[in-house]
Amino acid sequence: MNRLLSPTLLISVALLILGLCLPLIIQSSFQLRVVMLIWVYTILGLGFNLLFGLAGQLSLGQQGFFAIGAYAMALLQTKLGAPLYLAIPAALLLCALLAAIIGMPLLRLRSHYLAMATLMFGLIIEGLALRWFELTGGSAGVRVPPIAFGGWSLTRLDIYYFVFGLAVLAFLFHAFILSTAGGRALQAIRGDETAARALGVNVTTYKLRVFVLAAVFAGLGGVTFAIVSRQVDPSYSALTININLLTIAVVGGLRSRIGPVLGAAFVVLTPQFLTQFNEYEVLLYGTGLLAFLIFVPRGLAGLIERRGRAAPPAADSNAAKADTLRPASGEAR
Amino acid sequence: MEKLSVLILSGLTNGSVYGLVGLSLSLIYVSSRVINFAQGEFVMLGAMSTVFFLLTLGLPAPLSVVASVTLGLAVALLLERLVYAPLARRADPLTVMIGTFAAAVVIAGGALVAWGPNQLFVPNLFSLEPIRLGAITTTAQQCAIIVSFLLFIVLTWWVLFKTNFGLTIRAVGVNPTIARLMGIRSERIIRFGFLFSAAVSVVAGVLIGPLLGGQASMGVLLSVKGFMAAILGGLGSPFAAAAGGILIGVLEALVGGYGNSLYAEPIIFALILIVLLVKPYGLLGEFEAVQR
Repeated sequence: MNRLLSPTLLISVALLILGLCLPLIIQSSFQLRVVMLIWVYTILGLGFNLLFGLAGQLSLGQQGFFAIGAYAMALLQTKLGAPLYLAIPAALLLCALLAAIIGMPLLRLRSHYLAMATLMFGLIIEGLALRWFELTGGSAGVRVPPIAFGGWSLTRLDIYYFVFGLAVLAFLFHAFILSTAGGRALQAIRGDETAARALGVNVTTYKLRVFVLAAVFAGLGGVTFAIVSRQVDPSYSALTININLLTIAVVGGLRSRIGPVLGAAFVVLTPQFLTQFNEYEVLLYGTGLLAFLIFVPRGLAGLIERRGRAAPPAADSNAAKADTLRPASGEAR
Repeated sequence: MEKLSVLILSGLTNGSVYGLVGLSLSLIYVSSRVINFAQGEFVMLGAMSTVFFLLTLGLPAPLSVVASVTLGLAVALLLERLVYAPLARRADPLTVMIGTFAAAVVIAGGALVAWGPNQLFVPNLFSLEPIRLGAITTTAQQCAIIVSFLLFIVLTWWVLFKTNFGLTIRAVGVNPTIARLMGIRSERIIRFGFLFSAAVSVVAGVLIGPLLGGQASMGVLLSVKGFMAAILGGLGSPFAAAAGGILIGVLEALVGGYGNSLYAEPIIFALILIVLLVKPYGLLGEFEAVQR
């Protein structure tokens, strides 16, 4: 089949057109907000896909960077009076620096240890957001000043296209990385660190780079979320964000270009539908997540790509490897 | 002095629970290389089911404990059968871990349906009247938690080191493939790990419930504290993990008591980071965690 007509590309173009046209169809500001949340979660999910899907490093602390990005963007404006066009890059830079500092010791750890250590990081950020009252305003949070670049104050529709534009940029950047030599090096690290090192991949550098990159994606997600909701509070660093992120990975499918978008749509739209079940909401959500994990192991993107027979060979060989490797034999020397 | 002893004692109490969760996690990890994210939910089940059995049904205390443990075992069996087994057959341990994470959401969601979102008063099995032992003031409930911690440590030690079955568990822990070649049924070992851990965590929950209060959403934090305990002590050994729990509990109480509870978590986090840098497999960890 022609590479240019792969289902992934077709769906990407369809999503782009849909994203551009949606504000013309949608009238209510609530629905517009829901769509913007999909783009926010797309950005967050894309970063997680690079880190976990591509490089196999499981971080459960992305919500920490999500919150840091949002708080930094809001506080730089309210406390230091920085303009928005400076506050956003500064917030992302802060995420990158922090990720580099905590990444250097953490990335020496493997799988479970990394996951747990990053989870602790996320919980600490939540604790600080809640209790460092002088800076973060405690559970009340911080109000984000009106969104304006210089004298141009953005309308609701402008904000939509701004957020959508950032999501498109993130998507393109993510697809670009997937197709570079660096992307292949990260896949090699996921497969076998020792083998990757033997092939000349600088494992430590690449792991740190992808960790920092994922933190910047998460920070950008936080910034856009803050722009959409105009309010930053400790819920940004709550474990719910992390559960949503895992849902994006599981439902959307890992190592795919469109998986994070599909997963983000699922994660934003399902609760809208589930609220009618009241107290059963969490139970249903968890059961659905579990069912996806067990019965649709490669997620929605996996279903689409299999149908189109355009699954990337790397993902296939990994699936085959996962089939033969029982977890108990995980310590084959 | 008075304050110090009170703080250390409350640290020991909370630490015992963290330690028991850490021990549970380590037992499952050693046999299956999977971190069971749903472990804290069993502590929650212990606390919440005590409310149900003791207050709602009015069962006598011993029967209520037995009922809680039975409930925990049933949930653990479902977890092993419906989540662990299907995923472990084809996915890597990290995916299985995400599966247990989803299972934790399901269990907490079920508890939310059964008991609602509010914090409930959990009835105490032992008296909460202060007891004075020299300079120390304690309660029977606190003592029961610390004693049960010690009992479970001894029981685990006895099972692992004094029985044939324990020998097979340790063999699977060293090398599952070779253990299977020697005719050890590793699935059984793993199932035992899930069931035993569930019982330990449920009992911990029954006892700590009156001090923490019961809430459907309390499980995640306990899972995390259990992990911190296991990582600090060493995930590869149940006893190291339990010791890590005591250390975290006491540290938390001391930092919270003399400083500010705001600093407690960052300090423990920094401590764990330093420990992981110097000794990547925990303070008392063994080499076995090197792979995976």
